[in-house]
Amino acid sequence: MEFGLLAAALLAFGSAWGLLRLTVATEQRRPAFDRMISAAVVGLFVGRIAAMALAGTNPITRPLDVLIVRGGVDTGFAATAALTWLAFAGRGDLWRNLDAVAPASLAGLAGWHLGCLFSGTCLGTTTSLPWGLTAAGGVVARHSTEIYAALAFVAAAALVAAARRQVTVPGILAAATLAAAAFIRLATEPLRLGIGTGPEWWYASGVAVGLGIVLYRVVNARRPRRPPPS
Amino acid sequence: MKRTLVVLALIVIGACGQGSVPSVDVPPLEPTTPSAIRELLESSDRPVVVNVWASWCVPCRSEAPLLRQAAAAHGDAVRFVGIDVRDTQDGARSFIAEFGLTALEHYFDPSGAVPGDLGGRGVPITFFFRAGGDLVSIHHGVIDERTLALGIDELLRAGSG
Repeated sequence: MEFGLLAAALLAFGSAWGLLRLTVATEQRRPAFDRMISAAVVGLFVGRIAAMALAGTNPITRPLDVLIVRGGVDTGFAATAALTWLAFAGRGDLWRNLDAVAPASLAGLAGWHLGCLFSGTCLGTTTSLPWGLTAAGGVVARHSTEIYAALAFVAAAALVAAARRQVTVPGILAAATLAAAAFIRLATEPLRLGIGTGPEWWYASGVAVGLGIVLYRVVNARRPRRPPPS
Repeated sequence: MKRTLVVLALIVIGACGQGSVPSVDVPPLEPTTPSAIRELLESSDRPVVVNVWASWCVPCRSEAPLLRQAAAAHGDAVRFVGIDVRDTQDGARSFIAEFGLTALEHYFDPSGAVPGDLGGRGVPITFFFRAGGDLVSIHHGVIDERTLALGIDELLRAGSG
């Protein structure tokens, strides 16, 4: 049993639920939370299968390997699958449903990154800055990369939550959330240690798609509406 | 329609996973003992990452591709040693062939005495040793990319510092 990842997941869901309580009306809270949980599970599942397939392991002949999440989850496939599921589950009123879970999603991501404290994966590249931390048995100070990301996600969640009453055009909060989440990951990626190629292109695409949707929704909202046929 | 899509998805996933790692002919693994591994670590002029694995260990399968990538990326500066415990030669060889783990030096430890002697328990375990054999850290359980990269980076910096 992987207790570090379990703790991170619980922290993520707890943070998301906490912000949902503050930002979403009582009757919409439960379905919104259910959509978020199912999206996270679908994302993990697809991301894990993608990571296995890319590493040369056949998910059909080795189905148990899917459960070993710590062995790797492909971030790009996971995020795409989770977003697709979220959009599909809330398709009745797509933009408003996505807006409703936007701040809580950022809070959930903050909780997930803060979960590094349990899984022991907070540290990244070396630094001479005074707040650098040394790994157990280590010789150099390092950035607490995942803590930086968690703090940035907390700030983004607070901003999006505060803006939800001012932003009246549906879809803008959700798209801005996508752009913000992808940007935070992109900005902190150089401070992470890894083996092989990183997911920078996925993050850059997320920023571009998010900003593109914001622009589209703004322009669309300003376009004069045709009067309904009499 | 729905059933067709599911079948199609399964075929695609199956195709993605098949044949990505070329089949290789793996020689039998050299049997080892705790003292032989101690000697190897003490005489190594490079840092050593020791991974304890077995072909029957499901979590070992998930970290095997990561170890292959790490050995390919850092094999010139770090030695990667695999200790196959409580296993059969056939199982071990097919595991190495399946994951293309030929860049690691593998040893056969049917009694499973080596990891205990190094201070670990269970499978999988990953040990990080400085050149000369000083233990830097032990990771019990499946190792993820960040933890493995951090361990290797610490070894390289300890060596250069």
